Amino acid sequence: MNFDSTDIILSLVKIAIVVGALLNVTPIMVWVERRGSALIQDRVGPNRVGPFGFFQSIADALKFILKEDLIPAQASKWLYTIAPMFGLIPALTTIAVVPFGRAFVIPERIVFGHTLFAGGRLFEPIAADVNIGLLLVFALSSMGVYGIVTAGWSSNNKYSLFGGIRASAQMISYELALTLSAVSALMVAGSLRLVDVVQHQTGYFVLFNTIKIPAWNVFSPAMFLSFVIFTVAAFAETNRLPFDFAEADAELVAGYHTEYSSMKFALFFMSEYMAMATISALIVTLFFGGWDIPWYDEPATFFGFLLSAMAFVAKISVMLFVFVWVRWTIPRLKYDLLMKAGWKVFLPLAVLNIVLVAVFIANHWI
Amino acid sequence: MVELAVFFVFAAVAVIFALVVILHRNPVVSALSLVASFFALAVMYVLLEAPFLAALQVIVYAGAIMVLFLFVIMLLNLQHQREETTRPIQQALGYVFSAAFGIGLIFYLIKYAWIRAEQTTPFNSDARAIGIRLFEAYVFPFEMVSILLLAAIVGALLLSQRTDLRGRPTTGVDHPSGQNPEGAAASPRTGQPSFDAGQPSPAAASRRADPHHEGAK
Repeated sequence: MNFDSTDIILSLVKIAIVVGALLNVTPIMVWVERRGSALIQDRVGPNRVGPFGFFQSIADALKFILKEDLIPAQASKWLYTIAPMFGLIPALTTIAVVPFGRAFVIPERIVFGHTLFAGGRLFEPIAADVNIGLLLVFALSSMGVYGIVTAGWSSNNKYSLFGGIRASAQMISYELALTLSAVSALMVAGSLRLVDVVQHQTGYFVLFNTIKIPAWNVFSPAMFLSFVIFTVAAFAETNRLPFDFAEADAELVAGYHTEYSSMKFALFFMSEYMAMATISALIVTLFFGGWDIPWYDEPATFFGFLLSAMAFVAKISVMLFVFVWVRWTIPRLKYDLLMKAGWKVFLPLAVLNIVLVAVFIANHWI
Repeated sequence: MVELAVFFVFAAVAVIFALVVILHRNPVVSALSLVASFFALAVMYVLLEAPFLAALQVIVYAGAIMVLFLFVIMLLNLQHQREETTRPIQQALGYVFSAAFGIGLIFYLIKYAWIRAEQTTPFNSDARAIGIRLFEAYVFPFEMVSILLLAAIVGALLLSQRTDLRGRPTTGVDHPSGQNPEGAAASPRTGQPSFDAGQPSPAAASRRADPHHEGAK
């Protein structure tokens, strides 16, 4: 490995872009969720702070910071304190392997007599371009459960404990379906790197020699099933309705974060929305062509990069809205139904799907 | 140079957390420390330029197995009591043998690790390369391990199966009487019945006032 200073600066820029975007997801999504739920339930929703109540999240954040930070007397103090961090770190780091735009060449430039980007330098818009790509995603996202479990156990509250136990059972069950359904996308692309997965989807399916459909995995007959499984498992992994058993307000007060207050609670809140954004980015990357703009060949310049990055953000936004939409539309399952669905429906379907995709690949149908 | 620093930092982390695993009295803390230790071990794989193995280490051990461990530990209300030693000879033998094993291990590592370190043939840890090796050269052991695991799963299912008074199998959740069978009834520390079963049994109610885990003091 040989770095020069330009590499390090470019890496820092990428990290700043990704982390900055991710940190802004939470306030925006909280606003979308509250206004969206109001829209769906025919209410007004928060509309006092700023235009359409857009600055409500800032007011909420201020409130979180100013609230007293309580630690229950009987709680396990150390674990109680680090549990929110356990939750936040995987949510923040997983996005590193997702490419967020088209690669472009930064042209050579002379600033104050120094030559920058000598001979042009390729800018790969991905924070960590590692060979193992998607495996790293699963490795990190499987750590997210520890935040919830530790929080549930250390609070010393029976509702918290139930939330933690349910979360661990649920996440283990659905992680299998999630991973196995993603495998098919990797099989088609022939690589674990998400850059290759996106590259594979940039072409077109041509129907009857006239209609051009973008070659996104979701439009491929072999991959549609895995898209459905992955999305359902994604809802379970992020603990969103209809799978929010870790919280289950109606049964467990607030589940694993019942005892949390102030910024510790805010960290859980943030990690939930960040995990949603990350998994949306994954769904988009694996099944909706990532940063690919359909029916348009963006140039390999900075302008093309901007366009493709905007397309990527737009697709993620749609996915995030689907998360909100589903939450306020579908009620929570029963717990035994959740387990049955995970082990007896989605897991066998995911395995079946792999066989199906393998047959497609072996026959060169896709 | 950087690699050496990273190695020593994470080696220290791995050893310290491994010590916490066996020395801490609270089983939940032990389990979480084991996760941290596994993480530090994964860093070692990355340093050996085997990121694929590092990811698998985290996914399988830290992400799946330890979550199950934690799940069971949380469900089992473990008390922090020291068992009285009933058979001192066994304990003494245990110390002697583990000490002998440890000394032997260190001896062999010192004797042979230096020689091994000089062989620096590039190790191909690509996912594709490992997959091909696994399914060509090592397909028989691979399948044997699969069968072993399958047998373990079936065995676990058989052991955990509950029967009602007439010997018919029942599941823990949908018990006909609306109350859970004994084993799953009491939650770890509160003594409240789990999974919304009926009233707590008198035994569970008397246990409710238990002092709980470490952090309480």
